Amino acid sequence: MTQTIAPTTNPEIHDEGAPRRRFTMQRLLMLTIVVLVMFITLFPFYWMLRTALSNGKSLAANPSSLLPADFTWGAFKRVLGLSTVEQAQAEGGSGANLNFWLYLRNSVIVSVVITVGQVFFSAMAAYAFARMRFPGRDFIFGLFLAALMIPGIFTMMPNFLLIKDLGLLNTLPGIILPFLFMTPFAIFFLRQFFLGINREIEEAATLDGAGHFRIFWKVVLPMSSAPVFTLAILTYIGAWNEYFWPLIVASDESARVLTVALGVFQSQTPQGAPDWPGLMAATLVAALPIMALFAIFGKKIVNNIQFSGIK
Amino acid sequence: MTYTPPLSEELEPVKTPQSFWKRHGPKGGTNDWKAALVFLIPAGIGFAVFFVYPAIRGIYLSFTDYSLLGRAKWVGLNNYTKLFQDDIFWNSLKVTGYYVVINIVVQTIVALGLALLMDRVTKSTFAKGVILLPYLIAPVVCALLWFWMLDSQLGIINQFLEFIGLSSQSWFGNPNLVIPTIAMVNVWKYMGYTALLIYAGLQTIPRSLYEAASLDGATGFASFRRITLPLLRPVLVLVLITSMVGSFQVFDVVAVTSKGGPGNASRVIQLYIYDQAFGQSHFGYASAISVILFLILIVIAVLQFRFLRGRESDLA
Amino acid sequence: MKRKLGLLALGLIVPLVMTACGSSDDSSSGAGEAGSGTGAITYWLWDSNQLPAYQKCADAFQKANPDVQVKIEQLGWNDYWTKLTTGFVSGTAPDVFTDHLQKYPEFASQGLLVPLDDLIKQDNVDLTQYSKGLADVWKGNDGKQYGLPKDFDTTGIFYNKDMAAAAGVTQEQLDTMKWNPTDGGTYEETIAKLTVDNNGVRGDEPGFDKTNVKTYGLGLAGGGSGLGQTEYSMYTGSNGWTATDELWATKYNYDDPKFQETIAWWKSLIDKGYMPPLEKTVGAGTNQQFGAGNYAMVTEGSWNTGAFTSINGINTGIAPTPIGPVGHRASMYNGLADSIWSGSKNQAAAWKWVKYLGSADCQNIVGEQAVVFPAIPAATEKAVAAFQAKGIDVTPFTDQVKDGNTFLPPVTEKAAEVAAIMGPAMDGVMGGTADVSSLTEANTQVNALFQ
Repeated sequence: MTQTIAPTTNPEIHDEGAPRRRFTMQRLLMLTIVVLVMFITLFPFYWMLRTALSNGKSLAANPSSLLPADFTWGAFKRVLGLSTVEQAQAEGGSGANLNFWLYLRNSVIVSVVITVGQVFFSAMAAYAFARMRFPGRDFIFGLFLAALMIPGIFTMMPNFLLIKDLGLLNTLPGIILPFLFMTPFAIFFLRQFFLGINREIEEAATLDGAGHFRIFWKVVLPMSSAPVFTLAILTYIGAWNEYFWPLIVASDESARVLTVALGVFQSQTPQGAPDWPGLMAATLVAALPIMALFAIFGKKIVNNIQFSGIK
Repeated sequence: MTYTPPLSEELEPVKTPQSFWKRHGPKGGTNDWKAALVFLIPAGIGFAVFFVYPAIRGIYLSFTDYSLLGRAKWVGLNNYTKLFQDDIFWNSLKVTGYYVVINIVVQTIVALGLALLMDRVTKSTFAKGVILLPYLIAPVVCALLWFWMLDSQLGIINQFLEFIGLSSQSWFGNPNLVIPTIAMVNVWKYMGYTALLIYAGLQTIPRSLYEAASLDGATGFASFRRITLPLLRPVLVLVLITSMVGSFQVFDVVAVTSKGGPGNASRVIQLYIYDQAFGQSHFGYASAISVILFLILIVIAVLQFRFLRGRESDLA
Repeated sequence: MKRKLGLLALGLIVPLVMTACGSSDDSSSGAGEAGSGTGAITYWLWDSNQLPAYQKCADAFQKANPDVQVKIEQLGWNDYWTKLTTGFVSGTAPDVFTDHLQKYPEFASQGLLVPLDDLIKQDNVDLTQYSKGLADVWKGNDGKQYGLPKDFDTTGIFYNKDMAAAAGVTQEQLDTMKWNPTDGGTYEETIAKLTVDNNGVRGDEPGFDKTNVKTYGLGLAGGGSGLGQTEYSMYTGSNGWTATDELWATKYNYDDPKFQETIAWWKSLIDKGYMPPLEKTVGAGTNQQFGAGNYAMVTEGSWNTGAFTSINGINTGIAPTPIGPVGHRASMYNGLADSIWSGSKNQAAAWKWVKYLGSADCQNIVGEQAVVFPAIPAATEKAVAAFQAKGIDVTPFTDQVKDGNTFLPPVTEKAAEVAAIMGPAMDGVMGGTADVSSLTEANTQVNALFQ
């Protein structure tokens, strides 16, 4: 249980070795940049919040005030399905009904299943391409990679017809299926990381008699927990934010996901404006589960970064 | 095993004993195709059913006249000849190319910088969470948000510009500004995500290399150039290729904001395809354009892959 | 081994290709059925403001027909047509849906709509009960009726009452504005008066700085494309021009001097600083600009009455479109209708619902909600009264119909292709990068579509 290469989960100690003076200036500059970037990132979110707390009918008259125009919780109420038709329309929203918790549940199911399936199956395939030897390996990988170049719109209609022929329209499996097994990106991503893993450890395991599956499961996966977790989160976010595919595949209430349901806040008439407060509130609410997820698992990513050797 | 290899050896690819390759070699010796099959089957199913089959169907449709609501009528190469004479098509290639260049250059540099900053300055989960925030919101909403903030008369950005004495700009209405604006909106959205990918890659570089380098007197920039960049190659290639492929397919922001205008100044290729397919029911023609886009992307990806030698990693 | 793999690959690909070719890529899943006249049917619409009204209609309808259930679904404008199209293809389209003049020709030509003539005859539906012209415009190129009229809209001017008062412009002046392509007439004078630059100088006063305008006398929605419903149709129409010479024409008239001189005058308003430059119009809608005090007047459609009159802090008035060189006003007269999908499994029930939607009972309910003008004149009166009860006088919109100043939008095949040409063409002219004469070339391209 010793370590060959010392990992550092505590970089501050590592940095202290260098000359102090240079670091202070440099660090200050870098910190400033980081703060600036965070501001650029966060300001639009503040603007979303400010708009979400405004009354839709007062927005136009107050374009530059940094505070909400005519403060109201109305938008959030609309999103959570708690406001009546009259209340909604009084603030510029649509009166349509929003069964929020049902759609949230659907989104969670879809995202979780897709993430688990896609990450696992893609990891298996990525391992095969990175570490196994078989004829045509690079050619087949090239084919898989080529799938990355296929414009989404190209496959959308045929996939739609396929799902329909399978009788899975308006069901959650119908939404999940095309994404469940893999995406070229996931395979590409993990393969690049698997390639970069130090072969010594795998060789040691092979010499000890382990077969590919054991190596994959017990050595490579644990060592790649950072990229795998990263991919999982990215996949989850992608699945969560899918809009167009669930829109055309599942319009039935029972299978509707949150993003599609929130279409009710977008433009209702030709050339019309969206229900801005409702839309911003909806976005914030929809992003919350993901932020929570990241808050929980983010720590795990950080703490799992280690290149300690053989355990 | 407490063996710590001397520094010089670490910087070269590890050499494996020949005996190992005799037993697990590519030529002569066990090859793994049975195990590979097992590992590849699930992904293979997904690949064949949801990528290959639709792609083939799509290619077939590109040789037809198909309005989605009727029968597909075979027209041979008509769509392709029409395509080569279509000014709007060539314009959309130009517009998209311009967009890709701005977007990728800025995004990659910014993301790389961010990743390095996250690595050196702060490892806080909070910072990582913050820069990932733009990626969390739905693309359409992100587009609408910036459309609102950049509005030429009511947007907060222009109000601020006027406040500090500069003149307000029509970010989406001015034909010269529309593509750079859309490119920057997407940089905002994806820089955190891209930075995170690069950051994950940075974590695979052993710290000891940097320690050793600084002991040898290497400064920040030198160690960046000689250690970080080369060892980051697989991840950078991944990021470049996927970003570029994604960038070529820009759609959401344009569809929601400028809608291809003013005139045809922002009619990117994916928007043109969508217009043709769903707006004008020329699904066969749209498929033909998609095929061309597909070929362009493959060429670019292959060139990048070859050029940057992304298959190898100097670590392994 | 490599060879075997190659053959295997071939063996996989060939059948795939065969199935791809073999499968008839037409998936309009067969014809619909008459059905039993009972059961559940779905109805789609896009305007969320109208949803409560139609829900009320549905409730009343279901009470009178307990064995039919109507499920209403509302989809935003952008998604509406995409979902409809994919619904046609996959066989999951709604039984009844709100249809649009620019979209239905294509649906009709693909056989996706049920012709209603026999049903109308059989149930004695009186097509003359609708405002004049509304039913005719829903007769397809083959002469068959494809929709029952639902509502209509006209164009007018929303103006900021406080700004008008401050400029000394009276309601009477607004009601009698005249325009012409040469000097804009009293219309342009009013617009100039209402335009104010950042130094408080009005558009008709010396020292007006047209590069530094605070409030534009006349707002602008966009280049207008080929239709120009709220942008320019009220001018071209009152100059004696129509886009086509008849319904289902195969020739457009964008090369007509009357059209081009109107557009040239309209563009000149931008050059004089009375109307915002085209690039500034990309983004927030006219109602938001109006609400922010950037526009004093806007030419708009009656369907936006609710949006314009409910802005907090703005007192909105409605004025009629100006009188043109032909001696009277003009307004485009658009009508929506409800169509039945030919693939519906329950056409009999669908027809019951459509009949109800087109009946006085339902249209009265809709009228009372003060959102749109229903197609039956008596129901229109109810709408006017309902708006009045809210303190809004919509007679400038409805008088256009009463006075016979309306004209129909062009109804032809290939509407989407025409728009794809005229959109950028008009953008070029209004954006200043192309001369008005370029519209002749655009017209040639448009007419080439029909050859």
